[in-house]
Amino acid sequence: MSETRQYGELGTQLVMESRRSTQTDTLLKYNDSLVRSIIREQRDLEKAAVALVLASADALTPPPALMIIQTAIARNKRCLLAYHNHRISFLCTLYWSLGASLPPLLSAESTSIRAKLSPHEVDYLRSYHASVMTFRSEFSQELDITASIVQPPKDLHVLVHVVRDCGVIQTESGSIDFRMGRRFMVRRSDIEHLIVQGYLEEV
Amino acid sequence: MSSVANWDAEYDRNASGPSIPRPGRSALEDEDQPMPDSRDFLGQFQPAVEPEAPETPLEQLTRHWMNERHAPDILPAQDVLLSSLLDHIRRQSETIQLLRGDPSTSEEEHIRIMLAQTEVERVKFIVRSYVRTRLFKIENYARYIIANEQVQTRITTAERDYASRHAHLIDRHFYSSVLQSLPESQAGLDDIPNFIMPPMVTEPDTTRAVFAHALKKILSPERQKAEAWTSPKAVLHCCHLPLLQTW
Repeated sequence: MSETRQYGELGTQLVMESRRSTQTDTLLKYNDSLVRSIIREQRDLEKAAVALVLASADALTPPPALMIIQTAIARNKRCLLAYHNHRISFLCTLYWSLGASLPPLLSAESTSIRAKLSPHEVDYLRSYHASVMTFRSEFSQELDITASIVQPPKDLHVLVHVVRDCGVIQTESGSIDFRMGRRFMVRRSDIEHLIVQGYLEEV
Repeated sequence: MSSVANWDAEYDRNASGPSIPRPGRSALEDEDQPMPDSRDFLGQFQPAVEPEAPETPLEQLTRHWMNERHAPDILPAQDVLLSSLLDHIRRQSETIQLLRGDPSTSEEEHIRIMLAQTEVERVKFIVRSYVRTRLFKIENYARYIIANEQVQTRITTAERDYASRHAHLIDRHFYSSVLQSLPESQAGLDDIPNFIMPPMVTEPDTTRAVFAHALKKILSPERQKAEAWTSPKAVLHCCHLPLLQTW
């Protein structure tokens, strides 16, 4: 509607988006245009601030307008950072809930998550994954620290129903070809990651 | 329950094994004799029932795990305890593998093996949860940790490396998606917070109230109420964290 906006109005919109994302527990699409317009606003504010400083170079106290502009700059910047931080922490939670694996997040077909990310976020996830894998390799083969920590194991074996083909998997009792629609009784620790990634279902 | 006892008894045996080789208990003969027989582990387990008995490593880990999960700040790493437990898990798994492959293993022993396996999985769960809790805190406080020497003494080398990698990652992400497009005077990450802004570096909230029960009897400082903390586990105290840190 009107062209005039209050300082920081766009920043509020951006933070509202993060809040909505938390409330609905979904990741919204990266709002590139809003981020860009806030960055533009920051540049304009910067110019206004510089002009004010030059105009009042010989004054003893800084003009009150400068303080308002500076507050607006700091607030906008914090909103931008908060928005990005919220997104990457959401992504990291998602990453861990999928058993610390990238393909389900970044593959083009399975989910639409990738379409919602900015290129920088894809880069971030890749490096984050590398960092987690380096940390995991500090532990011996025996312990996979990326396995699920939601439910303490009650039973060694589990009856699973194959939802999607996932090929031949090496298990404790030899290799098993998991074909869609079949049921198997297998050791939980061998196939836990397949349950998490949605290939198998517990019966 | 019996598998828990087994686990602990086995641990004691393995822990003391290398230093004091007992006759008839060498590692080789151990494999023929699948599990400590019930008299044996009962004999070893008995002292743990008494209230004064020292904690078994598993109990220690469980306690540290609970503490870590409830404390706002990151607690000292228990790497010695953790690595000895990990070694123990590996030894148990090897023994289990061996016994499973052995055709002479009886039906009853197979049930015992299953119990031991389940117990191994359950201990792994605790270790995993413990490590991940620490990792979560390290991610949240990465910048605080790399700037603070005192905290670094509380974490392992691997965790420290992870913290610095993570802080670097976050910095880079912020820089490439926001800061590099801003005018130069705004492109720093460590602004001095002005007016009402919270600081940029997230720090653990050490003023939070926590629940605690005393492990031994202690007298509270004089400025607190002159009540003695007693040892029964049933007594829970809700108090301010800085108060506890002095002990």
